[in-house]
Amino acid sequence: MKKKWMAALLACTLMMGMTGMVASAEGKTFVYGTTGYSEEMGDAGLNPHDNYSGWSALRYGVGETLFKYNDNMEAEPWLATGYEFVDDNTVKITLREGVQFSSGRTMDAQAVKECLEDLVAVHDRAPSDLKIESIEADGLTLTIHTSEPCPAIINYLGDPYGAIIDMEYGIQGEGGSANVAGTGPYIATEVSPTEMTLVKNENYWGGEVKVDNVIVKSFSDAGSLCASLQTGDIQGTYGLQYDNYPLFENNPEYTINSMPTSRCFFGQFNMDSEIVQDINVRKAIEMGIDKESFCRVLANGRCVPAVGVFPSSFSYGNDAVTAPSYDPEGAKALLAQAGWRDTDGDGYVDKDGQKLTIRWLTYPTRLEQPLLATYAQDTLKQIGIDVDINNTSDHRTYAANGDFDVYVSSTTTAPTGDPEYFFTSTVVGAKNYGNYQNEKVTNLTEELHQTFDKDRRGELAIELQQEILDDCSFFFVAHLNMGIVTKSNVTGMAAHPCDYYEITAELNIN
Amino acid sequence: MSEERQITIRRQKIKKNHTKGKLIFFASLAAILILIAIFAEYICPYDPYAQDLMNAQKAPSMEHWLGTDRYGRDMLSRIIIGSTTSIFSTLLLVAIVTVVGTAIGIVCGWSGGKLDTVLMRISDLFLAFPGLVFALAVAGVLGGGIHNAIIALAVIGWPKFARLARGLTMAQKEETYLMAARLSGSSTLKLLIKHILPNIAGPILVTAVLDIGTMMMELAGLSFLGLGVKPPMAEWGSMINEGRNLLQVSPWMALAPGMAIFVTVMVFNLLGDTLRDYMDPKQRSK
Amino acid sequence: MFRYIVKRLLQLIPILIGITFLSFAMMRLAGGDAVTYMYENAGVSVSQEIIDEAKAKYGLDKPFLVQYATWFAGMITGDMGESYVSHRDVYETFVSKLPATILLTLTSITLTVLIAIPLGILSAVKQNKWVDYLIRFLSFIGNSMPNFFVALVLIYFLSIKLGWLPVITNKNVAQSLVLPTLTLTISMAAKYTRQVRATVLEELSKDYVTGARARGVRGKVIIWKSVMKSSMLTIITLLALSAGSLLGGTTIVETIFMWDGVGKMAVDAIMMRDYPIIQAYVAWMAVIYVLVNLVTDIIYHYLDPRVRLGGDGA
Repeated sequence: MKKKWMAALLACTLMMGMTGMVASAEGKTFVYGTTGYSEEMGDAGLNPHDNYSGWSALRYGVGETLFKYNDNMEAEPWLATGYEFVDDNTVKITLREGVQFSSGRTMDAQAVKECLEDLVAVHDRAPSDLKIESIEADGLTLTIHTSEPCPAIINYLGDPYGAIIDMEYGIQGEGGSANVAGTGPYIATEVSPTEMTLVKNENYWGGEVKVDNVIVKSFSDAGSLCASLQTGDIQGTYGLQYDNYPLFENNPEYTINSMPTSRCFFGQFNMDSEIVQDINVRKAIEMGIDKESFCRVLANGRCVPAVGVFPSSFSYGNDAVTAPSYDPEGAKALLAQAGWRDTDGDGYVDKDGQKLTIRWLTYPTRLEQPLLATYAQDTLKQIGIDVDINNTSDHRTYAANGDFDVYVSSTTTAPTGDPEYFFTSTVVGAKNYGNYQNEKVTNLTEELHQTFDKDRRGELAIELQQEILDDCSFFFVAHLNMGIVTKSNVTGMAAHPCDYYEITAELNIN
Repeated sequence: MSEERQITIRRQKIKKNHTKGKLIFFASLAAILILIAIFAEYICPYDPYAQDLMNAQKAPSMEHWLGTDRYGRDMLSRIIIGSTTSIFSTLLLVAIVTVVGTAIGIVCGWSGGKLDTVLMRISDLFLAFPGLVFALAVAGVLGGGIHNAIIALAVIGWPKFARLARGLTMAQKEETYLMAARLSGSSTLKLLIKHILPNIAGPILVTAVLDIGTMMMELAGLSFLGLGVKPPMAEWGSMINEGRNLLQVSPWMALAPGMAIFVTVMVFNLLGDTLRDYMDPKQRSK
Repeated sequence: MFRYIVKRLLQLIPILIGITFLSFAMMRLAGGDAVTYMYENAGVSVSQEIIDEAKAKYGLDKPFLVQYATWFAGMITGDMGESYVSHRDVYETFVSKLPATILLTLTSITLTVLIAIPLGILSAVKQNKWVDYLIRFLSFIGNSMPNFFVALVLIYFLSIKLGWLPVITNKNVAQSLVLPTLTLTISMAAKYTRQVRATVLEELSKDYVTGARARGVRGKVIIWKSVMKSSMLTIITLLALSAGSLLGGTTIVETIFMWDGVGKMAVDAIMMRDYPIIQAYVAWMAVIYVLVNLVTDIIYHYLDPRVRLGGDGA
């Protein structure tokens, strides 16, 4: 009986499967699966002036910014061709000629002015980043006056919220369904919070677009994403878990493209907590974490061990700074020096009858964080430190209340390719949950904030990193690789250090 | 007494003996599981917490019968040590809902009136409340961890037993022996404990044993959603969750703890079923 | 009858108030908020002022009771608010998710009935024969696996190893339905097969069946005419309860298969602390609960007029 039903069911599904195959659009079609597009991420829809939707405009080739980041995360002209700081508060930007919005309007300084004015009027983060006071438009020359010196404005204009759209065409639809007229290689025909249909822009300024149709599908489950790539339902993925990389590695049917990003897993010590106030204890903890093995085995080679705040592709990245490396014996010695010894033979060091237990706060949204916590728990046990893991999605509350000794989180340390951001936000800013105070660091950060000279900014970034590393107030475990896995006949999809540009005019299917 | 009737009685007797054998068999199986849970520490072939990244995600072999997990920990050892958490949490949970639910049910059934109405409305509230919302909220308030998952499931689990006990108590209340005991001047508490409780204990016990399996699956479901134990502790539901993403690469990581839950739930279900047959051979449908 | 129904529906009100208040309080206590989580998911840190401003926009900075009162006042007037995450109307969002859940409920209940009733009867009629043992064995297996595990096993074998079915929902609804339906049906069918068997056995042992047999009525006729009719009572009650819990969305199954129904919506909302959506979900659960109880009682009444409509609810 059961069998019959199964057979009937299977027959039904087979038939459905066949009818499903008939429909397909003309020309080349690329179906792209991503875990990076959803309402929960705040980036559904294409309106760059709304939340993080600009990421989607940029990622899927609909919108473009005035400046884009190269592989070293330096801002380069894109829709602009050049810029010049007239004085501390004024920047003059020259725009590219012959660029057209998908609405048909020609992009000129007036159009960009309208777009940026709307941006600072409605967006949450842009006004405080850009500090725009007024804008003048003259032909292809755009002059921006800022309310205070803003050396990083060029970098900020490369942020996805700076995607240039035609305000005359406006925002069609709301929130997760918003569509816009951009200048990119693709034009969206249908936008929903879970799926997007794109067609090629016949009049793209950057040359011939090679793929006719692109469908972007949102996935909330990485396991499903992986299986869908295997079954061929999708031809490219973003956000595949590295747990599943072995299925695609050394497999001629697939291409893996990965690149270290500035997404960094890092820990901050709670300077108000007595137990980690001793620098020897902090240093011992850092020396008890095996970053290499974590990246190689647990992260399957998809993370790169970090030294400082920024990945090696930056001129002021990993290679420019030094930090304590994995050394269990050295760590034990440091602990002994600080008076922590295992006197009761339970395997954990103690002092004044108190076991050395550190509260490790982290959260599960980023898969790597609980893995790191569990792994560090074991390697720290080897040197006699007991780790009590608190892995909770409500970590902010714990962090704000100082309910931790080590708080491991992750952030994109240089979303705009500029070093200032991490220091102002996390080291001396609101996210300095460990209440770390160092006058030198504060002064250097202030100096960085005021400095226009690019080389000097780089030097300051190195100096600042080294200072916090020497203080052992922060430790940096790994930088995450961004990975795009595609069927091997797909070309022109490259991972990028800032994970903004995914679908470009280069995309092709052979 | 007709001949036919006698045959039926004899048949029932044979059946009862047969059931008794089965009951002993399944009870022993359950006892074995509980013994494993008690002595887990001593049975583990390896240290269930010892990581060894060199041997991470190894397929089942002679050395590691059920393979190793992503940290290189022996799966068999973790399943054995995990039985302590998984089985005892479930038993504790069932014990809590049974005791609390029964106590409330007896009080409601006995006293009736306003108190009964109020308590039953409250039980309605909890019966209608989606368990997941409750569990996640509890996890948020008290922090994650299996204890809080138990609390959450207990809070929504008691009404079932309260209703059962209430119904049974109300039925008992009408019995003549109770009238007699009442007239002889026994105190209410004594009446409840000495007369009512023993008479309603049977069906409640059967329901409780049958609930062990369900509760175990629900607890595992919560840990599957990430409300499980703190690392490095092992618990079956969390282990399946950990292995879920690796289903293709290392299927044993999810399948092994899944089988452990399956076997345990099956044993307790069979035990409950047999217990029901044994206690009430005629009525097998409730 | 009408008055009875109205009376029962009135009971919905205190439950609804109680339950929404409870969940409102619970979720507030749980800490965390949608605004912070969204910025976090995007992975970029923003200043506290920006977060506070966004929170104020949703009234998240107001005292708890004020928030509840605002919400409740809105709900009475038919405005359930808008989602903090998608900014869409809660009622619309909710209604758009319902069809998926209802569809899944229908398919799995239908398949369950189609499997459980014939197998249960077969098992009862062939009591203690090998068919009976086999069916009972299978039903024990089905009953002892948590459904998320069943789901993983099905995915592993049917989708990954054999490649027959898609893992997740796609445009082809019929194909996408198979795995979630099978997952839900396996445990339900197992449960009901046992239930049907037990009920039928009980009926078979009753005097009227013995009587009918003695009068020479054929076995099949007895089963279909008399036994089934009386067994239906128990079965329908159970099915109604199951339908109730399925309509509440099968959170885990919907999440695994990315089935876009109310269960998945609820999990997502809880994870994001999207209060208005959670409230709508909880209210929906309360409504289902009351309705299912009502429907079962009415069915009882029709199938067996001896059962009086108590209106007690307990």
